[in-house]
Amino acid sequence: MKEKESLEKLKGAILVGDTNKAIELVKESIKMGIQAKEILNGAILKGAEEAGKLYEEDEYFLPDLLMTGDAINAATELLKKSLNKKSEIESKGTILIGTVEGDVHDIGKCLVVSLLQGQGFNVVDLGSDVPPQVFLEKAKEINPILIGLSGLMTMSISKMVETVQLLKSENITSRIIIGGGILSRESCEMVGADDYAKDGWEGVKKINNLLLNSGGE
Amino acid sequence: MNLVKDWAASVNRIFRTISGSKRVDKVPFLAFAGEQMICRVTGKTVKELYSSPKMYANAIISTFEFLNADSINVPNAYAGPSEALAFAEANNKLDAIKWFDYQPLMCKQGDICKNEEDIDNLEIPDHGKNNLWKNSLTTAKLINEKTKFPQVISLSIWSVVHELRGIEAYKDMRRNPDLLLKLCEKVYESQMDLYENWLEIVGMPPNVFIAGYSFNRHMMSFQDAMRYEGQFIKRMMDKIKVPFMLHNCGTAPYFTEVVKEIDFIAVNGSHPLDIEYWINFKKNHPKIAIIGANIDVSREMLTGTPADVEEKVKENIINLAPGGRYICCPVCSLPWGVSMPNILAIPNAIEKYGHYPINID
Repeated sequence: MKEKESLEKLKGAILVGDTNKAIELVKESIKMGIQAKEILNGAILKGAEEAGKLYEEDEYFLPDLLMTGDAINAATELLKKSLNKKSEIESKGTILIGTVEGDVHDIGKCLVVSLLQGQGFNVVDLGSDVPPQVFLEKAKEINPILIGLSGLMTMSISKMVETVQLLKSENITSRIIIGGGILSRESCEMVGADDYAKDGWEGVKKINNLLLNSGGE
Repeated sequence: MNLVKDWAASVNRIFRTISGSKRVDKVPFLAFAGEQMICRVTGKTVKELYSSPKMYANAIISTFEFLNADSINVPNAYAGPSEALAFAEANNKLDAIKWFDYQPLMCKQGDICKNEEDIDNLEIPDHGKNNLWKNSLTTAKLINEKTKFPQVISLSIWSVVHELRGIEAYKDMRRNPDLLLKLCEKVYESQMDLYENWLEIVGMPPNVFIAGYSFNRHMMSFQDAMRYEGQFIKRMMDKIKVPFMLHNCGTAPYFTEVVKEIDFIAVNGSHPLDIEYWINFKKNHPKIAIIGANIDVSREMLTGTPADVEEKVKENIINLAPGGRYICCPVCSLPWGVSMPNILAIPNAIEKYGHYPINID
């Protein structure tokens, strides 16, 4: 009973983005002997899901999701470190992400990184203003299951085209998603990406869908 | 330089449309031509353009005349990257600025105000002493003098906060709203300094164009948008006694909400793309001019043909031009990938369909 209560409280702390409280509750749950997978699936991810639902219902907004993302990351990091049993929380795969060359906007991308990490993906974030060649080199090195190209500005679309063309010409077979408010189905087809998202939360959902449909790693 | 365009006609077309006058010959064309487009037309780099007001003014005039636009403005003279540069310079943080040859400079978001101390100690830029702003304001003055097109000032709070504080600004809303308001206050002070310098160098603007990036559901709640930007716009309105227009570059804008709170004479948004949204907006707010609507730089303009663009312009004109108060323009800045024939398809389609009285089968 106490275990259930502790997980409920942790879920609540994740939902409201209270990082300190989440850390405290993860410690408490570990002390109680709750399995790491249970803490992750039964509290942390449930809190994240609920936050996403509230976002879709216009109850939550970007600031709330960012706070939740921070709490998720702090909680999962602590979980991994404290237990030193990384195999218990298996990585769902590696994702490579970055804002394309010539664009330094990264708020949507940071949200995506934060939430994907919380969901158990290993995310390699190349930052912003990333040249196509850097995406290629890193993709060859880490063989990601998915590559995410972010960009806010209309002029980023042509850089996305260039990056995707380079990746494909070098036989990179990772799924590719592009993200940015200015994107459309038409520009996604032009870029040659598998899908597109207009905001960070939509990006997280579409990445999960893409990987689910392609059978994951 | 000799002008090839009748700018007096364009001035009448644009400002009469905004004010709702019936004495308008045709739908005006407002072009969002940024530095990228000016570089493309003139072959100059951004730094070359910024270095000489005379060269910059001539390059801008050539570009807008080439595009057959009814509008003309200095693209960097708004509360975006240029304002971030002014803050970077005033606070010895020029490393936060990244320059490009053929596109506008950018600020690494969040690098100027990384922590509370940075906000506390943030110096307000003196726009009269900042080289880029001095040149940009002089450029606006030269354009005023040459074309007689009165230059509209563009101000903002959130787009600057966003540049200075980056993603942390959004977290501040929940964990330290007072700190965020302190930053907004400093940005407001800076915007008023910019306005004072504009008055001195360029003269009284006919309108204020608010680059109000906060009014978007994907960024924040409407209450937060009013708290961190709206209340400052109201204060600007109290001081600057000219009509205000609202630009919002967002996928889910709060236009219908914000016009109930703040008295805007025109709205300009990149989304939603659905023409029905704008038809309803016009029906519900017949005295507010619509700039733009749904000619999309990431759809028909990027991947379509001039015929596709013409169709889209026609659709916009049929639905939004009758009764006036509609200015045709692409929803966002024209990027590299959009072909010149597609851009020129807009003024050509206006010429074909946009003469008043609108009479299209």
